[in-house]
Amino acid sequence: MTDQTSGEDRGAPPGTGDGARTGDRTGTGDRTGTGDGTGTDDGTEPDARYTFANERTFLAWSRTSLALVVGGLAIAQLLPPFPGVPWGRHVIGTPLILLGCVISVTSYAEWKASQRALRHGKPLPRSRVPQILAIAIAAIGLVAAALALVSAVRSP
Amino acid sequence: MNRPAGEPPADDIEYADPGLARERTELAWTRTAISFAAVGAAILKYHPVVGLPVLALSAVVWWLGRLPGAAVAGGTRDRRLLLITLTITAISAAALVLSFLGHGSLLLR
Repeated sequence: MTDQTSGEDRGAPPGTGDGARTGDRTGTGDRTGTGDGTGTDDGTEPDARYTFANERTFLAWSRTSLALVVGGLAIAQLLPPFPGVPWGRHVIGTPLILLGCVISVTSYAEWKASQRALRHGKPLPRSRVPQILAIAIAAIGLVAAALALVSAVRSP
Repeated sequence: MNRPAGEPPADDIEYADPGLARERTELAWTRTAISFAAVGAAILKYHPVVGLPVLALSAVVWWLGRLPGAAVAGGTRDRRLLLITLTITAISAAALVLSFLGHGSLLLR
């Protein structure tokens, strides 16, 4: 339901009263408009509910990445070492920490892309974070299973 | 967030009532702050030098959630969200270092 920020609004002359704000021009002047508008190149203000929802999505991914980071740290430090595979904990913990970092950065980039799409009344870009998370978790799980097997074989 | 009927200018986005979205978002910030506190407390036990700042950060995060963000100020950048991202990046870098150190290597030894 982004009809109220659809492309027709961009062509409206400035001063029509639908939010001719000035604060959004700072820092976003590097982007050019789509060519058909004479107003600001930053689109129009979307419904505040969409901006709030976008923000909540970012925060949810941030909590996910925090959990991954602390989970990776806990595995590397608190888990007893695999018998026969002393470096095994790091093989699981380090990717989890890196994954948390990647998800945090990616979710900010996607918040920004979504916010831009909202302001220009375009369809929201598809999020890549679920795919990244699923593939990485599956890979880490496989590695953990392999480690458990190797450890079981090596230990008497 | 009930506002007095006479107060809100109808055309100002800051005072336009976005339903319960604002309140839900503040609750999301509170959850995020609690997550920071949990992470800080988890690190605190073995690495107080790293854990204490993270624990203090949870208060900062809670306070950030009360500041006006992009929904009020507009634009496609939000320093609060950028700060969250940078903080998590720093925490993960610290966690990476700590994971290769022994228990309490930074302070307790």
